Amino acid sequence: MAEARPVDNENPSLSADPAYPLGEAYDEMFSRDGLTRENYRLLHRRMRSLSVEALGDRQRTLERSFLLQGITFTVYGAESATERIIPTDLFPRIIPASEWAKIESGLTQRLRALNLFLGDIYGPQRILAAGVLPRDLVLGAPSYRREMQHLFVPNGAYVNVCGSDLIRGVEGTFYVLEDNLRVPSGVSYMLANRDASRRTFPSTFREAGVRAVERYPDLLLSTLKSMAGDRRANPQVVVLTPGVYNSAYYEHAYLARLMGVPLVEGRDLVVHDNQVYMRTTTGLGRIDVIYRRVDDDFIDPLTFRRDSSLGAAGLFNAYRAGNVAICNAPGTGVADDKAVYAYVPAIIKYYLGEEAILPNVETYLCRERSQLSHVLANLDKVVVKAVGASGGYGMLVGPHASEAERASFAEALKADPTNYIAQPTIQLSTAPCLVDGQIEPRHVDLRPFILSGDTTVVTPGALTRVALKRGSLVVNSSQGGGSKDTWVLADDAAARSVADRSYPEDAA
Amino acid sequence: MMLARVADSLYWIGRYIERAEHLSRLAVVMLNAALDRNDAAARATRIALAAVGDPGMGRPGRAVDSAHNLVFDRERGDSVIASVSHARENARQVRDQITTETWERLNLLYLRFNEGAVERAFEADAPSALQDVIADLHMFMGAADATMSHGEGWRFMRAGVHSERAQLIARLLRVCFGEGAVAAVDHITLMNLLRMACALEPYLRVYTADISARYILEFLMFDQEFPRSIRFSTAQLEEHLSRLPHGQGAGRSEALRLAGRLNARLQYADVEEVSANGAGALLAAVGEECAAIHSAIHETFVAYPLEMSLPA
Repeated sequence: MAEARPVDNENPSLSADPAYPLGEAYDEMFSRDGLTRENYRLLHRRMRSLSVEALGDRQRTLERSFLLQGITFTVYGAESATERIIPTDLFPRIIPASEWAKIESGLTQRLRALNLFLGDIYGPQRILAAGVLPRDLVLGAPSYRREMQHLFVPNGAYVNVCGSDLIRGVEGTFYVLEDNLRVPSGVSYMLANRDASRRTFPSTFREAGVRAVERYPDLLLSTLKSMAGDRRANPQVVVLTPGVYNSAYYEHAYLARLMGVPLVEGRDLVVHDNQVYMRTTTGLGRIDVIYRRVDDDFIDPLTFRRDSSLGAAGLFNAYRAGNVAICNAPGTGVADDKAVYAYVPAIIKYYLGEEAILPNVETYLCRERSQLSHVLANLDKVVVKAVGASGGYGMLVGPHASEAERASFAEALKADPTNYIAQPTIQLSTAPCLVDGQIEPRHVDLRPFILSGDTTVVTPGALTRVALKRGSLVVNSSQGGGSKDTWVLADDAAARSVADRSYPEDAA
Repeated sequence: MMLARVADSLYWIGRYIERAEHLSRLAVVMLNAALDRNDAAARATRIALAAVGDPGMGRPGRAVDSAHNLVFDRERGDSVIASVSHARENARQVRDQITTETWERLNLLYLRFNEGAVERAFEADAPSALQDVIADLHMFMGAADATMSHGEGWRFMRAGVHSERAQLIARLLRVCFGEGAVAAVDHITLMNLLRMACALEPYLRVYTADISARYILEFLMFDQEFPRSIRFSTAQLEEHLSRLPHGQGAGRSEALRLAGRLNARLQYADVEEVSANGAGALLAAVGEECAAIHSAIHETFVAYPLEMSLPA
């Protein structure tokens, strides 16, 4: 029977171990000299005590349980549809309390500034007058929604649910790579992964002192209710899904179930006299808050895309009349535009007078002539992204691309430079994963979830996405990525007191 | 308060689950009967196929092929695999409305079908593979009863079960006792008929081993306590409909009125009269009335016109 993890602190010959080669990247479990980091000690000890066969069994049990729960997405083939689970790795990724405290304050700061930015852009546009960022870059962005201009949004909270993507660079610093402010997904995987890891490593979980994520659904519900203003004492909240064929349908149903609110589709909705209703068995029921998991373009065929049947005709007018809250507000995409991203530190400075706690990744705007020539000269070193694309599409990872791919991207860049940004290729940190019966390092990112209504709350946990292909830096599930649970430790007393103020945890 | 679409899906889940169970049982009885080398085997196959609307009466093939077809043929809209898939698809669409315990029973069965595990078990030992399917379906219903609130959603599901069951039993009885019955009803065939209705043991407790067409009709049409008699199902249907909130639409309580009328008709019908005039007419009426109730439920709770419910 093979030993799963032959390396420990008494035997710090890790980098010599071909099965777990430490590369240039920061490793979450081992320091450069091959020692187990403090936050990983308990888990590492447990990993070593289990044979690869035992680990494999646990991995299979976990996958079976995801399949049984229906945590799947559907792949449509020529003949039939297959349901797959998103690959899930059994080892949790562990974040120490002190690091989390910084992430938490950084994300809170960032979302506060971005909500102020949205209120300004869709209001007086002071920041444009002040010349902090170019007018055409904001007002010309495809995600800018003129219809939102001068519309009142309760609490100034345009973004109620945010799922930022963080990465850890070579030297161990966390950077914000992307702010996902439209309809971020993945929170159900955070909760399902937690459920699974508690069962996979029960005693390690208990001993490590992991902060709870289970309150996310009720915090989401109170965030959504706070967006109803004072229209009704007990506002009716619904989750709006594109339907069962959407790849995130499981998550929509999951959140509706855990919040105890109806999961509606466009065909269930009726707008009459600027009020939104749903068809119930006893007639029409009034709706006050819509947590929509449908993109801006599709929520109202009268206002946005005419060919959409996923929303409801007249919904936007009901919103404009103040009779229903739509969460997130339409038009939030303008603040997570990949070109606007480059200005977020300036945006934070402008509204809050503070330096950004979490740094941005250095970003070259190809719309600037000098930056474009720098990007073109360094195509083999940078990552190029199309401004409008997401999900790992429309992207060039320079060092991993072929000469031909780089050449064709260079043409595209010269033809339409405003459509592209570039960033240095960052070696995302690695974390141990079970791959084909071996424990190997794989690159990971971090997606925490932030809620913002009458207060702002960062859930002490996250979705850790994993690039399962060896050496790959692309973690998107559409590109062969997987996920794993994220443990935020509560052990550091200072971190805990910061956390308790903003995140209510069960006393029990 | 329940979404109209959700109520419709829950009602259909009930119908599909009941249908899957009934067809599984027809297949089991067919397979078991085929072990005997006599006419009864062919009769059982003929009855089962006629009861699911398959003509195949001229020359029924091998029972195992027919059973395989009833269970695994995705082309057939009512095969067990199709019903389980439809039920599961509906459940997925109302996943937020059913408990995890209930969902997982159904999803597990669906996965066993979809991964080919049921078919492999069928190849190895067909009757016990199908008994396992029936047990899984019972567990689904048991989990629903034990873990879901017995409110509107659960009642829609139960209404679906009993609406489907009344029609399936009526059709089974018509095949044997209606006009142009497909098979002579000898003792073994009557036993198989009781098995197809899952009624053999409860019947024996009431009538002892005195197996006769008259008693079977009495039991499967009028018994008040046996959960698969038509009267029991129509009484349940009326009960569930009466406990639902008032629907919308023209007839508001049309579904309930129809169910009450059908139930009363069965309550006051007489087995003497049925035996004298033949059961065909009453059994046909049960089928028609159930179809009318089905439409009324849809129009009252799901597809009602909007004008009626808009605020003034």
